[in-house]
Amino acid sequence: MTSLLRKVKTRLSIHAHRKVRGMLEGEYTSVFHGRSIEFDDLRHYVPGDEVKDIDWKATARMGTPMTRRYIASRKHTVLLVADTGRDMAAVAASGEQKIDIAILAAGVVGYLAARHGDLVAILAGNAEHTEYRRPESTDAHLERLLQLMASRTTLGSGRSDLSTQLSYIAKSFRRRMILVVIADDRVIDQVQQRLLRRLSVQHEILWLTVGDADPTSADWTAGDMYDVADGAELPRAVRSQQHLRAEFSAAALARTAAADELFDSLAISRSRVEAEADVIPGLFRLLEGHRHARR
Amino acid sequence: MELIYWWMPMLWAPLAAVTAAVAVLVYRRGRRRALEGRAIAHSDRLTALPGYRTALARYRALLIAFAGLAALVLVAGVALASRPVATSIVYPQLSNRDIVLCLDVSGSMVEYDTELVEVFGGLVDGFEGERVSLVVFNASAVTYFPLTSDYGYIREQFATITGQFLNEDIAYFDGTFFGDGSSLIGDGLAACSLRFDTPEDDRSRSIILATDNLAVGESIFTLPEAGELAIEAGIRVYGINPGDSSAREYLARFAAEFQGVVEDTGGSYFGIDDPRAIDSIVEQIDAEQATISRGAPQLVKADQPVIPVVFAFLGLAGLIALAWRLQR
Repeated sequence: MTSLLRKVKTRLSIHAHRKVRGMLEGEYTSVFHGRSIEFDDLRHYVPGDEVKDIDWKATARMGTPMTRRYIASRKHTVLLVADTGRDMAAVAASGEQKIDIAILAAGVVGYLAARHGDLVAILAGNAEHTEYRRPESTDAHLERLLQLMASRTTLGSGRSDLSTQLSYIAKSFRRRMILVVIADDRVIDQVQQRLLRRLSVQHEILWLTVGDADPTSADWTAGDMYDVADGAELPRAVRSQQHLRAEFSAAALARTAAADELFDSLAISRSRVEAEADVIPGLFRLLEGHRHARR
Repeated sequence: MELIYWWMPMLWAPLAAVTAAVAVLVYRRGRRRALEGRAIAHSDRLTALPGYRTALARYRALLIAFAGLAALVLVAGVALASRPVATSIVYPQLSNRDIVLCLDVSGSMVEYDTELVEVFGGLVDGFEGERVSLVVFNASAVTYFPLTSDYGYIREQFATITGQFLNEDIAYFDGTFFGDGSSLIGDGLAACSLRFDTPEDDRSRSIILATDNLAVGESIFTLPEAGELAIEAGIRVYGINPGDSSAREYLARFAAEFQGVVEDTGGSYFGIDDPRAIDSIVEQIDAEQATISRGAPQLVKADQPVIPVVFAFLGLAGLIALAWRLQR
């Protein structure tokens, strides 16, 4: 079995720039660990750190920016909420499988959390079946979580229905957690809106959308195409029509705007990624947006 | 309109039904099994668009038209394979006649011969398949032209001999004097009886014999002997005798003999005095012969492939156009 976590680390350290990695860490720190009172130690400033955490005296002494670190008041629990229904086995906007992007995103978040001593748990499932893995912070545990996502998500999996997982969380968890929901370009229906409104009171919610493929894309005019939900074919002669492409992108823009508005009204930070290469910048945007939203 | 292979549609109907059923089954099973191609989630993002709905409706209409045209081509093909035929009833005997004009060309007969040839020339226009021959005789018989269905040629020959009659050109009786006497009617009839070149064929044979019956000299065949010959060959003889007039009482015996011979062969005898009567006589002979020779009606079937071929062609052209449109 190939190690999914290794892939995450590789992506973090090589493919994505070192600087970005540092920034992402700084961002994570400032978002979730920035407000402890107890001073821990000083470390070199990394971009993304809160400016107010810079110890100007130490900076003057050292000649290079230094940031104060605080002892975390307590360990956070990051709950990865993953859809492992067959929707996620479909093609993403980049042509990759959506689940691969989702696993990479979950891995990066989990890795960052684990490095900060936070606990990572997962709630994964589809309309029929939901699985929960207890919070831990070891690499082995993280690898198991990622493997769970990978193995559960196939084209033969059950229907995707995020409200099952959301209501599970609403019912089962008392303590405050950081929810990282990894979903796709679905429409958030009334039930899910109600659940999210309810959950956002108790938890911090970060929402990462994995962009769905554009069926009218000119790259995919050759070959068949069907919907994973019901197997209905999208006839090539119909979907490849020029005027539909324009109509679809106009509708996609409108949909994105509507989703943004919805998440704003729910006070949930959201970011959308379309490719594996986009995951780290996308998470950075997500954390950045979350930090500003909390002000 | 009927079908020769009437069972062809019955063969194809179950075949087409079974093929369609198998296609539907395979399609259904294919749907249930793993699908080919790219898996897309939330396709309603596209399918809910009004543009997609109209495009899909148009696509479906094209598919239905395609299926309809394919069915049309199939039906036309089956129709063609069943061989549609038009049936008609024909009386084949009608055009199965051989007629020999047997003309006495002795001086007194020219007027009548001219009329006979002229009237026959008119009849030829309505002939189809009949064969006509012209034999002239006096002391000996000469074939002016043999049995032929080349009506252009016949008309040409009739025109020639008419011209010769009218201009008193002696060419028309060339070769008719090799014999002992003149108007040797027995020899003439016998010679004409031998002009039928296909005795074994199933055709009606008749001789129109025009003579004034003024035989002079020794003939090889007597008239009754020649009559026997004609009967043996199954030939009907029609006699036209301008010499049979009340003014020539002394010829009554010859006339009676002539009439007897002619009627023994199953033909008719006409004694006349006026060349203009020839017209009605020939008509009468023609009509009489037509009724006699009208054989059992035969059913003739002629293939009628035009309509299915046109439909098949149009359907195929439509299929190609639609296939191109659908592939685009």
